[in-house]
Amino acid sequence: MLTSFDPLKGKRLQMLDEAGGLVKGKFQPCLEGEALVAAYRHMVRARVADEKSLLFQRQKRIHTLPVNRGQEAAAVGSALALGKDDWLVQSYRELGGLLVRGASIRNHLLYFKGSEWGSVHADAPRILPLSVPIGSQITHAAGIGHAIRYQGGQEVVLAHFGDGATSQGDFHEGLNWAAVFKCPVVFFCNNNQYAISLARGKQTASATLAQKAIAYGMPGLQIDGNDLLAVHAATSAAVEHARAEGPVLIEAFTYRMGPHTTADDPSIYRSKEEEDAWMPKDPLIRVQLLLEKQGLWDSTREEACRTEAAADTDQAMREVDELHETPVDEIFAWQYADRPAELRRQQADYEAFLKWKEAR
Amino acid sequence: MAYVFLFPDLGEGLTEGKLLQWYVQEGAMVKEGDLIAKVETDKVVADIPIPRTGRVSRLHGNVDEILLVGKPLVELDTEGQASPLKPAPAPAEPASETAAPPAADSSGPGVVGNIEVATGTDVMPASGEGLSSIPTSASTPAGARVLATPVARRMARDLGVDVGAVAGSGPQGRVMKADIALAGRQSTVAPTAAPALRGAEHAARGSRTEPLSQLRKTVAARMVQSKFSAPHATTFEEVEVSALVALREAQRDRYSAQGLRLSYMPFICRAVALALSRHPKLNCRLDMEAGTVTWQDAVHLGLAVDTPEGLMVPVIRDADQLGIRELGLRIADLAERARTRQIRLDELRGGTFTITNYGAIAGIYGAPIINTPESAILGVGRLLETPVVKEGAVVPGRVLPLSLAVDHRIIDGGDAARFLRELMGLLADPVGMLLD
Amino acid sequence: MPAMNLVQAIQSALDFKLSDDPRVLVFGEDAGHEGGVFRVTQGLQATYGERRVFDTPLSESVIMGAGLGMAVAGLRPVLEIQFCGFIYPAMNQLVTHVARMRNRSRGVFTAPMTIRLPYGGGIQALELHSESMEAMLAHIPGLKVVIPSTPYDAKGLLISAIECEDPVLFMEPKKVYRAFRQEVPAEPYRIPLGKASRVVEGQRLTLVAYGAMMRVARQAVELAAKEGLSVELIDLRSIYPLDTETVLDSVRKTGRLAILHEGPMSFGVAAELIARVNEEALLWLEAAPRRICGFDTIMPLPMGEHHYMPTPERVLYELLQLHNFPE
Repeated sequence: MLTSFDPLKGKRLQMLDEAGGLVKGKFQPCLEGEALVAAYRHMVRARVADEKSLLFQRQKRIHTLPVNRGQEAAAVGSALALGKDDWLVQSYRELGGLLVRGASIRNHLLYFKGSEWGSVHADAPRILPLSVPIGSQITHAAGIGHAIRYQGGQEVVLAHFGDGATSQGDFHEGLNWAAVFKCPVVFFCNNNQYAISLARGKQTASATLAQKAIAYGMPGLQIDGNDLLAVHAATSAAVEHARAEGPVLIEAFTYRMGPHTTADDPSIYRSKEEEDAWMPKDPLIRVQLLLEKQGLWDSTREEACRTEAAADTDQAMREVDELHETPVDEIFAWQYADRPAELRRQQADYEAFLKWKEAR
Repeated sequence: MAYVFLFPDLGEGLTEGKLLQWYVQEGAMVKEGDLIAKVETDKVVADIPIPRTGRVSRLHGNVDEILLVGKPLVELDTEGQASPLKPAPAPAEPASETAAPPAADSSGPGVVGNIEVATGTDVMPASGEGLSSIPTSASTPAGARVLATPVARRMARDLGVDVGAVAGSGPQGRVMKADIALAGRQSTVAPTAAPALRGAEHAARGSRTEPLSQLRKTVAARMVQSKFSAPHATTFEEVEVSALVALREAQRDRYSAQGLRLSYMPFICRAVALALSRHPKLNCRLDMEAGTVTWQDAVHLGLAVDTPEGLMVPVIRDADQLGIRELGLRIADLAERARTRQIRLDELRGGTFTITNYGAIAGIYGAPIINTPESAILGVGRLLETPVVKEGAVVPGRVLPLSLAVDHRIIDGGDAARFLRELMGLLADPVGMLLD
Repeated sequence: MPAMNLVQAIQSALDFKLSDDPRVLVFGEDAGHEGGVFRVTQGLQATYGERRVFDTPLSESVIMGAGLGMAVAGLRPVLEIQFCGFIYPAMNQLVTHVARMRNRSRGVFTAPMTIRLPYGGGIQALELHSESMEAMLAHIPGLKVVIPSTPYDAKGLLISAIECEDPVLFMEPKKVYRAFRQEVPAEPYRIPLGKASRVVEGQRLTLVAYGAMMRVARQAVELAAKEGLSVELIDLRSIYPLDTETVLDSVRKTGRLAILHEGPMSFGVAAELIARVNEEALLWLEAAPRRICGFDTIMPLPMGEHHYMPTPERVLYELLQLHNFPE
């Protein structure tokens, strides 16, 4: 599969079209039946949590955060291709993938309320925290893959990043390193057409992002990023290849249906027409249609699924509402394994101030 | 700890001298001021005193050797114990003060730049740290040093006070600014030995330069400080004291029978003390830095005393609670002991108001300088026999001139005048004053 | 006891850790086959193989970033940045990730990695090969910065650095890579990070220095002794954490402090040390502390380098100023 869709020839893998129909092709999807239903549920939960997060931000219960709308297939489909011990190296628009891997909505909200504990996933230990410097996590993925290879392990690393990240030096350095050392890494590029306000066409003169793989000596293919089945199948193939041979670059062609973050106004740089044109391609629609066609889903289940997701998200927010201040000791406790004398002195001075403030 | 005494410049521009004789040996104990060597320069043969106390640990120089000014002459151990010196590991590298010349051999690669390569067989010894049997070096306990803030140290310098000799009243014995201010107001009883001899230079005719005594330096500094921080406003008055003169005459024999000389000063002190208790503003203390004024209930009168060495101001404590007799005794005693330099330091401190009786020598009116940190000073002039007007007629009278200088930052003209009026009333009617 | 120069001592430490801990990898540009441009890692690849000691592509950012990935995944990478001035391309990874991973993840992911970099001037080199930016690095919370001045200290400190659970910048004063030899035990030993060392006991002045400047400092101390000045010399060894106590002990004895380092004066290590001394020992100070440092200028090219790099005479001059304060 990885070499069957030559990006230089403009090929793109699609398995499920916008109308919910299976596309005839050489390769079969790997998700079906109850597994497909479960995948769809993940997408719905991700969508609902994402929508409510925006609401919560407007209610000032959490702070500015990225919006995931439209990228659920890419996040969920790719994460479902991983094994239990595989690594997920995220950027910041993979909420669906985190939820698949066992992270909680509560942690998601806790992180954006402003606590480091939001990155600590008790049930999903191999997810790296959100990476703010664009593309920098790509090198970490290469390093983790290098360690796995060194230790003779069978795990792989799934590294997510956006179209903007492909302009960063770390994209180049990380892919280059991974290819040289044959690190078991799947480099998954979410080409959602925008890096905040910069359209993909101005980000790079390359016709596709997938073809950049050729320069590094690794396979690269472009897929329909709104197509859950294509995402899952391509990632699965890439995971196998990475484990056996070396890294792969997947470009998931998708669309950022919402703003960059809750503080962004896309109307400044893109037209309503364009946004409207992408609405029928919404990744949730086609899966719902397919499942309904297969008799595995209906509006009642849809309703119930959304209601449950909403309730869970509301509950998570209420729990996070109860948490307030980061305790003073935590500010100082996590800089080093030990606590150097100067840090202890600074902490003691600050605590003395707090006592004084208390007594006034 | 080790003190290195460098061969001092004995006269302007001296660069060297010939060592004629050592007065001490290595190992001997010397006291500050002891003479340690005789040296001959092109101008003078001089004995050199040591400015510290300690045990001589090293003498630099042999008899008849030419010694250079500024080089170590004598080393003392001033704490009496030798510090255990660890041998410093000597680094054995090629001596080079500037960047090393390049070594072009292949064992010193670097791609870029020149990496110096050791030649020779010198090897620095191991420190032994981290090897289980060798303990790490314990740090030397903190030596006894004077604790004082840099600001306080500078103040001490400006006042000519040795901060090391001041007893500190602050936390952990810290020398506070107040301690230094107090010390600065005292004369030093035991003069410090002059650290460097400036020989008696006889130039053309009758001119002589000598170092200022500690007392003089202190007085000078304090006068400057007072005059240039407090704006002095002086009021002059005259009070007709015939009644006081008569009273003193009447009592004089009675006192002298007890061996006491009765002067006017006890009466003046009593009057001033009373007037101060009724006009406490002239008895207060101003602190511009803190922005405060301190009202003091007690009246501690300082009396300026002219001594052979210079001005001293012993203090009569609680002068407002003493009678004439007691005042007289105190005044006589303090003045005597000040002149003979037997006065104690605590007797020179703590005054709240000062009286300067320059009139005892000469002077009618004066503009005295306030005795910082007090707020006012009274100058008493020469008692005059002079025509006065009484009930329309010109008659001979006895007039005491008063010159009151106040710190106009805290005391206004009205306050000064009211105090003077009170004082004049008391002095003009001494019996009334004593009966109050 | 064998005699080693700094290069050999560092190599000895690496050799020990490679043999002692299979999680240790050593890598960098030209660090594998060639053994490093300074030959510090020479022979290690032959002994331990290419999986453990290897050459990397010419990419400092991924050297740092992949190093972090390896550390997160349970290894103990010892990566080399070829010259101090080339750490700049890797600064983003160092500052935004290496230094922060523990805090960001509340200890779930940590970065037990060692970053070796030859630093410092005095070698008549091209631009960016003579940097001394330890202050910039020490200013980053989450990193430890260590600078040995002797072969003995280098071996003990490097072993500790590799065994440390936090990221350590191990800065190697390349000017003295081969300038002198010292007795260094063949067996392993550790010198704790964060401890300074009093190397010369003195009474009147305290001089603090580190790295290649220790040699200059020792020479200056000898010059001072000839002028009758007893100077206590302290080798800082660790920039973060900084051993304030050892310096304070000395200052409480002498009351006079001078600090010597190559890097630019403003916002440098000396400034930090003086701030701490003022906070904790102001009352013992008899003179304003003096800084003997590089200027706030770019390091000159070789024909001007001698003006920039402090020399023993310049140090002596400053010590005399310190001694004569406040005259």
